[in-house]
Amino acid sequence: MQSFGHSNTTYGNVTSSFNTTVNEPDGDNQIKEWLSPLTPEGRHQSVQPNRVEGVGDWLLQNNEFREWSRSQAVPGQAVLFCYGNPGVGKTHIRSVGKPP
Amino acid sequence: MASLYCDFLYEEKHSATNILGAILKQLFARDVIPEPVRQALHEKMVLGGGRPVQLSDLVEMLKATIALLPGVFICIDGLDECLQKNRLQLLESLQEIIRASPITRVFLTGEPHVRDDIERYFPEAITIPITPTIRDIEMYLKMRLDQDPTPTAMDDILRADIMRVIPQNISQM
Repeated sequence: MQSFGHSNTTYGNVTSSFNTTVNEPDGDNQIKEWLSPLTPEGRHQSVQPNRVEGVGDWLLQNNEFREWSRSQAVPGQAVLFCYGNPGVGKTHIRSVGKPP
Repeated sequence: MASLYCDFLYEEKHSATNILGAILKQLFARDVIPEPVRQALHEKMVLGGGRPVQLSDLVEMLKATIALLPGVFICIDGLDECLQKNRLQLLESLQEIIRASPITRVFLTGEPHVRDDIERYFPEAITIPITPTIRDIEMYLKMRLDQDPTPTAMDDILRADIMRVIPQNISQM
């Protein structure tokens, strides 16, 4: 998760919009609309500005979290479930490892 | 990495098919559909003659796309906010995807009652309880106090009280 470095973000976006406008073959957008009406990109963008720098970073140091993110050869441990009551910060914790 | 938040406001929209379709869209690197996947999807779309995409086809396309990538993280947030029948279908599909690609990592969040559904499909899932730490709350409060629009109404005693009482109470959530 941490491999998405900040320094690559701008470059990635530039490349992405270039491909969309110039290289994307006709029909790709039609296929994507057919795949799902949901647009998940907008949600992370709305969560991120509300997150305070450093809050939730404890998760990245959590032993079980580290074990999960590194143990790529253990199929049984493919799933990590973070649970908690409403309002404890589950949605914000999800964005801890993501680029802005 | 592909991620999705299940918003209860649109719970009817959060079928396993729509969720996995949204995940697949995000896995197309730089928005370009890999050629073999594009051909297969286009064929299914045309053959379907306007019908929505089928869940079984999506699972196959996810497996094919993930196989082209070095390592995929899938995040699905708010599992308690989709209907249970959709959640079970989603977990079953994820199980199939992980069987085909065991290095795939899946990050899920939800309320505690969802845990039974998850362990039904993933008995060895790693679980972490989320509670705000005292340090998290202190960092957040400090930010809010620093941005106080009426700082003249604040004095050191009130500030110290806020920093002492609120973290104590909230960390017991």
